[in-house]
Amino acid sequence: MSWWKCLLPKRASGTQLDSELRFHIEELVEVNIARGMSPEEAWRQAMLEFGGKEQVKEEVRDVYRVRFMDTAIVNVKAAIRFIRKSPSFSATIILTLALGIGANSAVFSAIDAILLRPLPFPEGDQLMWLEQFHRKVKNPMGRLAPTRLEDWNRMNSTFQAITGYYTEDESETSGILPEKVTAAFVAPRFLQVWGVAPELGRDFIPAEEHWGGPSAVLISDRFWRSRYGGNPNVLGKKVTLETVQKFSCSIVGVLPASFLFPDRNVDLWIPVPLGNPNPYANNRDSTWYLTIGRLRRDVTLEQARADLATVQATLAKAYPKSDGDLGVAIDPLKEETVGGARKSLWLLFGSVSLLLLITCTNIVTLLLARARQREHEISVRFSLGAPRSAIVMQLLTEAFVLTLTGAVLGLIVAGAASKVFQFLAADLPRVDEIRLDARIVLYTLACSVIVTILCGLLPAIRGTRGNLSSSLAQTTHGQVSGRHPLQWLLVGVQVMLAVTLLAGAGLLLRSFQALGRVSPGFDPSQVLTFHLTGSYAETGNPKALAQRIDGTIDALRGVPGVEAASTSSGLPGLAREYEVELKFTDGEANPERKILAENRFISDGYLATMKIPLLEGEDCRPGLGTQAGGALVNRSFANTYLSGATAIGRHLKALMDAAFIGPGEIRGIVGDAREEGLNREPTPTVYWCGNGFDPDPFYLVRTRTEPMSLAETLRRKVHEIEPARSVFDVAPLEEHLGEAFGEDRLRTILLSFFAATALSLACVGLYGTLSYTVDVRQREVGLRLALGALREQIVKQFLLQGLRVTLLGCVAGWGLAVAFARILSGMLYGVSPTDVATLSSVIFLVLAVAGGASLVPAIRAARVEPMRVLREE
Amino acid sequence: MPIEKSDLLQGTLDLLILKIVALGPVHGYGISQRIRQISKEVLQVQQGSLYPALHRLEKRGWLEAEWGQSSNGREAKFYKLSAKGRKQLASEESNWNRLAGAVTQILQTAN
Repeated sequence: MSWWKCLLPKRASGTQLDSELRFHIEELVEVNIARGMSPEEAWRQAMLEFGGKEQVKEEVRDVYRVRFMDTAIVNVKAAIRFIRKSPSFSATIILTLALGIGANSAVFSAIDAILLRPLPFPEGDQLMWLEQFHRKVKNPMGRLAPTRLEDWNRMNSTFQAITGYYTEDESETSGILPEKVTAAFVAPRFLQVWGVAPELGRDFIPAEEHWGGPSAVLISDRFWRSRYGGNPNVLGKKVTLETVQKFSCSIVGVLPASFLFPDRNVDLWIPVPLGNPNPYANNRDSTWYLTIGRLRRDVTLEQARADLATVQATLAKAYPKSDGDLGVAIDPLKEETVGGARKSLWLLFGSVSLLLLITCTNIVTLLLARARQREHEISVRFSLGAPRSAIVMQLLTEAFVLTLTGAVLGLIVAGAASKVFQFLAADLPRVDEIRLDARIVLYTLACSVIVTILCGLLPAIRGTRGNLSSSLAQTTHGQVSGRHPLQWLLVGVQVMLAVTLLAGAGLLLRSFQALGRVSPGFDPSQVLTFHLTGSYAETGNPKALAQRIDGTIDALRGVPGVEAASTSSGLPGLAREYEVELKFTDGEANPERKILAENRFISDGYLATMKIPLLEGEDCRPGLGTQAGGALVNRSFANTYLSGATAIGRHLKALMDAAFIGPGEIRGIVGDAREEGLNREPTPTVYWCGNGFDPDPFYLVRTRTEPMSLAETLRRKVHEIEPARSVFDVAPLEEHLGEAFGEDRLRTILLSFFAATALSLACVGLYGTLSYTVDVRQREVGLRLALGALREQIVKQFLLQGLRVTLLGCVAGWGLAVAFARILSGMLYGVSPTDVATLSSVIFLVLAVAGGASLVPAIRAARVEPMRVLREE
Repeated sequence: MPIEKSDLLQGTLDLLILKIVALGPVHGYGISQRIRQISKEVLQVQQGSLYPALHRLEKRGWLEAEWGQSSNGREAKFYKLSAKGRKQLASEESNWNRLAGAVTQILQTAN
């Protein structure tokens, strides 16, 4: 009960009042003594006459205190009375606000969970994402060789620990049927870096992280529950992975359900032992680990970057061949995880805040109209001696009670809206972490306070500005015409903001249309894709690997309904970014020129499956091992690097990554395809033929009918020839291509929804203001009709009034849209951010809808019965 | 017979205080003494009404307060009229005179 005492002015409290009253009493005592009383008697009489010092003090304090609480309570009571007196008016405001604030809170809850909160690990801000990069070309070489990871971990002075992992999809065969599991193979110190302890059991012990030590595995909470029914005696049980050969390891622990790293699909974490004597494990060119480190306390990102740059420079001197051209990139893990979604989320938040602004503007218009109706009430209160501040406070309290009710309803809306958002945005990172908690409630409350100030202040100040004597003397009936420039300005602002949002939504929609019209150079329809478990260990024998995959492809081709089948290391139309510098081994006319090209690994039959035309030469030859298959290049490659000369028969070799790429002979030239993404122009690309590179490629099957209808048949066929492997991720290629644009689709859907809402709000504002104007000017209209004006003229006049404001709003909105166009750049494809066609169709739409909204009140104005209006006067 | 607090017309005490303070800076005890003397003991202001009224008038900005020495050398809080208070006094005074005149008129005419 004492929290509000701090609101009291200091003057009333404490010693000052005390000494003021004591002075009075002492004066009385002195007078009494002068009258001849004894000091004790004088004091007693004085106290009696004064009448209870504490009581007086209390009453003086009340002067400061009670007024504050009382007026607040009185204002709130008055506000509630006001709301109940005009239920439809209040309901309109509360519902509009509930939607505006609710949508805003929902988007904010997503921003809060995804962008603002630290990652859900202890001191998650210390976690860093580490990558190596080649200084000369861009390609996904970010993965580290085990030896280099250990070097970095040993030689740096800014990280507590550095670790790494890679994942593989495997078959687990300790049960009745093989089950596909995702295993993360982790470098030492894995859990130490995360700062997470197993929920059951223990972390790996050093012996388990060294070559020749006991085998061990940590399992996920999900796997524990689904495979072992949550049995607490699971520790010590064996998990068997069977790809090339059987590999069993015993369970040492279960990780908590909240630990979802690298992603929510991982079931097993298996340590990769140190000290493996085999040459493949000590090759500094291998690319195994995605790398994560935990910074020491009080170390900045810049210090860490400088530190690891020094470490890598030392390594470059020691191993110039493998480490000479490598650099180190360090970014916060959070940035790496959520950075991609940032622009979209802020765009959505910006749009939903514009929507809230439109809502506010709308409510200001309503409250202003309302304040005019209450002019009489307010001037009466003025004349009764209420200070202006009291009336402003009362009007603000009304606005606040309205907004607060709206905000509480808004929280319910936000709860539902964030469910919808989670559904639409399933592809965004950290979406599972979105929830409505105290922070969101607080944010919503803050929103409602800001909205109160935005919505309430202007009407309150304007409503109380009028000269009270004149406003009392003149009744509203006497007015002939009201111009209300402020209301019309606000309508214009609403139209302007709505046009801006519509322009954004329109551009995103047009961009989607443009994507749909793109001819990708391949045919994604009727292609089924899937994976078959494989192990990197198989790359040790490329010949056997190639034979195994070729065998599977041949089996698939035999299934009725299959038109063509092949494999590819990446899906066509999805970025792979494997750019490497190449060299012609049979002599280059211009040795200065750098040959850079994307690299894809395909099997024979890829061209037929994807319907990519062979322009010259021949397709990949079937049934060959790794490099013997040769290479195909696309037209861009031939035009860029071999203009005029024959391409067929030339020999290509990679300057790096030679273990995986070439050398090989160019056997054919194929048509350009948008392999790196539908929204990207084809770049020079080399297709390397052969199946010995990748144990887990995508299988691509062109079907004669709907692709998913063949899924079960294909799965059974594969099981016949590869009983220990599991088929997973079965999906049509078109679905993958659609997912690639999931974020684009999300922002397009939401922005279109916000824009449509904004347009309808602006129309409600326009309709309301015009209706009000018509009401106020009824007498004038009646008079003019009586004097012979035509009804069409009246309709035209009011219609034009509405359209004029709309048009001005549109022009301002166009300007605003062009000014904000920069925000959308990078999100658009095939349409300029200031596209005139889009903007003019938006304006046409707005004018049409606004015309509709203006027509109703305009026609109503013309229906005025002159005699009735004039008689009412 | 002295007139007690409850008999004073609402707002009259404020007018009296403003009028007394207009004569020069004065403390609370002084105000109660002067009202008593000038009204020849008819009006006696209770401390429980006087001090809240003083603080209310100060809060409205009609009175300004300052600590100073009383005639017998003690620390006391002195009130004086602000510019705003002077305007208020003028308007309340004329209101009072109109009211009093009207009441008197009615009493005389009704006789």
